Amino acid sequence: MSELTEVTRQQARPGVRLQRCAVAALLALALLLVPLVTNDYTQYVVNSILVYALAAVGFNVVLGYLGQLAFANAAFFGIGAYTVALLMHYAALPFPLALGGSAVTGALVGLVVGLPALRLKGYYLAIVTLVFGELMRWAYVHGGDITKGSGGLPVPEAAMFGVVADTDKAKYYVILAVVAAVIWSTNRILRSRVGRAFVAIRENELACASLGISPGRYKVIAFVWSGLVVAVAGGLFAILLGRISPESFNLHQLLLHFAIVMIGGIGSLVGSIMGAVLLTAAPEILRNFPGLEEIIFSLLLIAVLLFLPRGLAGLAARLVPALKERLYRE
Amino acid sequence: MLFQLVLSGIAQGSIYALVALGMTILFRATTIVNFGHGEFFMLGAFLVYVLLHVVGLPFLPAALLAIVLMFLLGMGLERGLFRPMGESAPHISLAMMTVAFSFLFRGIARLFWGREVYPMPSVFSYPPIEVAGLIVTSQDLIIAGTTLLLVLLFFVFFRYTRLGRLAQATSQTARGASLVGINVPLVHGGMWGTAAAIGAIAGILVAPITLLYPDMGGQILIRSFAAMTLGGFGHLGGAVVGGLLMGVMEQLAGGYISTALIDIFAFLVIIVVLLVKPSGLFGRREAAHV
Repeated sequence: MSELTEVTRQQARPGVRLQRCAVAALLALALLLVPLVTNDYTQYVVNSILVYALAAVGFNVVLGYLGQLAFANAAFFGIGAYTVALLMHYAALPFPLALGGSAVTGALVGLVVGLPALRLKGYYLAIVTLVFGELMRWAYVHGGDITKGSGGLPVPEAAMFGVVADTDKAKYYVILAVVAAVIWSTNRILRSRVGRAFVAIRENELACASLGISPGRYKVIAFVWSGLVVAVAGGLFAILLGRISPESFNLHQLLLHFAIVMIGGIGSLVGSIMGAVLLTAAPEILRNFPGLEEIIFSLLLIAVLLFLPRGLAGLAARLVPALKERLYRE
Repeated sequence: MLFQLVLSGIAQGSIYALVALGMTILFRATTIVNFGHGEFFMLGAFLVYVLLHVVGLPFLPAALLAIVLMFLLGMGLERGLFRPMGESAPHISLAMMTVAFSFLFRGIARLFWGREVYPMPSVFSYPPIEVAGLIVTSQDLIIAGTTLLLVLLFFVFFRYTRLGRLAQATSQTARGASLVGINVPLVHGGMWGTAAAIGAIAGILVAPITLLYPDMGGQILIRSFAAMTLGGFGHLGGAVVGGLLMGVMEQLAGGYISTALIDIFAFLVIIVVLLVKPSGLFGRREAAHV
């Protein structure tokens, strides 16, 4: 049924479809050419933007689309990073397999976090997931010889198809390919029956259950997918930094993801990407002033909560109606 | 060893109880769970530090002034951040606002005090009291005494005073309360102020026995969540009993099993309680509103 309407919609407006293809092609070309205009440092910043955009997209699935106050994102991120680092460091697995491993681990951990979410709502879920993140951080610190404690683990350089990604420009293409593929799949899921079920649960859980949409099943699916996406982002983060330590996955990391989702626009994938561009570039500028970053993020968050409930994406949609996303009720 | 551990657990637990008490009072009046309560605790301690060392006030006036300032800050937060969001603001947004202001205060503290730790001189320098081989410091006694006093005060306030009943009515139905002529914003503002002041009192009492640093609120927040969860969310007595139990169990686990366990004990308590009996020891099961 939904496929049918999709087809008729496309046939009715071939011009729009062509226009979209052109925009997408131009965007892809621009993204591929980025390394031509960057130096090592700006390339590193662009790479981090991609990683954080992916982490925020995964967070948004649960926070924005499913509407659950779950704070396990830094935990998923850390688990993905540690999985990649451990698999590459000890098992000497090639990078693509290690990243696959972090996706599987992330999905399993998403399942573990998703199951309590069936019983717990609102604040209780927020507290449990917050605690889960801190518990994981404790585990990294007390992991003995395996995680190397607070000193952290070195991550070997990623190699793909015989090419070693040892520069930031080479890493860029690896990261871009993975991030684009995962964001694209997330978008497909969110626009499918499953994604509409997430939004329906957010709007009214009881009504969903009475219509035969099982809230429990779709909540678990959302958590599993969110865990997978964020763990993959964490795996890319490990490659990007070349060394990971427990302190990379503390409450500060959580604030960054949270701020990206909220300021970019809750319940909007484009918003998460915009938020990542804005907020990932900022810490680089503010690095020399401890505390300033937190102050600016929190002031932006407060401003968004008071004046722009839909964040940057909402603002953009107001200016350019074509950007409006249908899954959010105004 | 057992009695000494229990004793120091009670002293430690009184602090958790005091912080949990502040959160519970706010929760009961406004149904907001304040993720920024740890920052009231941190700011209270730092305010006293500034008033003592920069302004040069003696301890007692400094502490009183800090408490008054924190009360005003709490009222200001309600007026500036929460009232504009409206009565019908979803719980998620309100919780996010508390997260936002907590990081704001943390950032401000970091801007001034960087990443170092600041020792505060002990205020009450009476020698520790020794009874039958057990050692109790005067600081511990003062903390436990203040907690007990405040608990009694709030019990009386909520149960027997007109203002306390107004606060309770407001939390049950803000709309209904305003229909019968209760000034709902004023009640909420007062409760925010009270919560901030209690948080600050806890911070001021603890400051001399711990060190001051901008992130000190985070640790105490999680332990207070554990105390509230254990006692039953929103239950005044539950928060206190939960806090004391948390303190004692933490010390026992640290003393008999492993000191590394102290750091995560609160996490384990939260997870076990929420999975086994989410309503805690004294809480009632919530019914869903359709």
